[in-house]
Amino acid sequence: MTIAPLPRSTFGRRRPGGPTDESGPVRWLRRTSLTFIALFGLAPAYWLVTTAIKPDGDVFEFPPRLIPSSLTLSHLSTVLGNHDVLRYLVNSLLVSSVTALGSVAIGSYCAYSFSKFRYRGRRTIMLTFLVSQLFPHVLLLTTMYALFSALGLLNTYLVLIIAFTTFTLPLCVWMLKGVFDGIPDEIIEAAKIDGAGQGVIIHRILLPLVRPGLVAAGMFAFIRGWNDFVFALTLSGDSTRTLPPGLVNTYLSESSNRWPELMAASLVCSLPVVLIFLLLQRHFVAGLSSGAVKA
Amino acid sequence: MSDRVQLTIPGGRSAVSRPSVPRRARRQVFPVLLVLPAVTLLTAVLIYPLIGAVIDAFFDHNLLVSGRTFTGLDNLASAAKDLWPLLRTTLLFAVPATLLPFLIGLVAALGLNQRMRGRGILRSVLLVPWILPGVVVSFLWLWIFDANYGVLNGVLRSIGLIDSNVGWLDSGTGALLAVVVARCWSTFPWMMVMLLAGLQALPAGAIEAAHVDGANALQRFRFITWPSLRPVAGVVVLLEFMWNFQHFDTIYVLTGGGPARATTTFSLAVYETAFKGFDLGKASAIGLLWLAFLLPIVLIYLRITENKS
Repeated sequence: MTIAPLPRSTFGRRRPGGPTDESGPVRWLRRTSLTFIALFGLAPAYWLVTTAIKPDGDVFEFPPRLIPSSLTLSHLSTVLGNHDVLRYLVNSLLVSSVTALGSVAIGSYCAYSFSKFRYRGRRTIMLTFLVSQLFPHVLLLTTMYALFSALGLLNTYLVLIIAFTTFTLPLCVWMLKGVFDGIPDEIIEAAKIDGAGQGVIIHRILLPLVRPGLVAAGMFAFIRGWNDFVFALTLSGDSTRTLPPGLVNTYLSESSNRWPELMAASLVCSLPVVLIFLLLQRHFVAGLSSGAVKA
Repeated sequence: MSDRVQLTIPGGRSAVSRPSVPRRARRQVFPVLLVLPAVTLLTAVLIYPLIGAVIDAFFDHNLLVSGRTFTGLDNLASAAKDLWPLLRTTLLFAVPATLLPFLIGLVAALGLNQRMRGRGILRSVLLVPWILPGVVVSFLWLWIFDANYGVLNGVLRSIGLIDSNVGWLDSGTGALLAVVVARCWSTFPWMMVMLLAGLQALPAGAIEAAHVDGANALQRFRFITWPSLRPVAGVVVLLEFMWNFQHFDTIYVLTGGGPARATTTFSLAVYETAFKGFDLGKASAIGLLWLAFLLPIVLIYLRITENKS
């Protein structure tokens, strides 16, 4: 039996997109608007990358030079040579990785329960998971801050991991529930007849089957942890600060113009998530459209 | 709820097979044990703080002083004084930051739904702005809007739209425009993908048939594409509005709420009152008023997802 853990997304699918013999004005309209949208979507990203790798002379020229006169890696090496930025980078990697592992571990048990069992209160819990995503996180910060401060957890890695894991959990659970739903009950029944206990069924049979889904959910959690700003800003301290609040700390307060360095730092902060995204975009889009659950 | 959520975006994913027979676990304890870690975390980190914030609104609670005293409606009264400016700014940000990306996303989805060269690449690359960390998005637009060397001024001047550099972030209107544009840039890809998923659920034959029957492009959109797209459109607009209503990152980094509080939305006000003013009671009171406006939207969203099942 073959099992497709995640349905093919809108990306992977090749299908005809309606009539190709559209009339001239319509085609012209389509081309023009797409060109403008592509320009709007891509030009800022181009500006980010080129500012990071062109010499200072180009950057502080007005009107701006759209095509760099030469390329340099000096800004990137300045950023990566900055001990603070390096520490933020390591912190981000550490916290986001553990968040991804934790979300997938806790989320897969929860998703398995939601998917394959029926019990009183199940729908209520699932609804609470959904609704919890809709309330402003900034509002939760005040009590969270007081709570974690009372527990003596502020400025630790643990507090960031706990916070990030909690915020990514609902999404991970929704994604993974869809994956478990795709696994026929017969597999579980057969295993039971063979005398397998629940532990064996989950760890030996189901988790290997849903591994692509686990990876996708983990990457989702990683990116959310990596991109988070407001919780890291309030709950972390000097030694545990992650990249987003770290970069704001390092660069934003400075009055001197360090644009190329700031763009280089932005590039460093973006590259990991963009790479992960490009590797797993099909899963991303599937997960995106599956639950109307995002940030 | 699960099936409802999935149904909110028709065609977003192929129908997954549901357990054939709802099976009642022999021992109910086991499935509950499985959800326990997740539920514990959510209760401690999401639900408890939410309730705590609501209660805090009725206390004088300073971050620098331990303990709190009950003050009744004092916090709410003092928060209510700022209510209208805050609500106005929040709407001035959230409404355009929802509708503009929706329109761009819709046009992009319609454009990309057509078979053409480079479609796949364009789709993937256009999603990159959405994946970038919010802080990076803000840094980038801070640089683009820069008054002295910013590329926006440069481009506008070279095509003759403005004569001299504009300090975009120095005026209230300009700053509001800046945060909306930055937010627009980072969210239209999501709209595009969701609407594209909706478009792909549309039976291809319907458009062909209308085409054969002589319907022009506008009629085909009006009578065939749009009606089947409307449910998705409703949900994405509602969700995006909800997220914009509570958005923080871009505004905080790009304008810090300024100049002269012109971009101070509810989320910025709560953050500043709590972590710069250390007044948790008043911050919670602002949050409570904020929730009063958010709650109806949440309920509408739940109603819509409920009706889908």
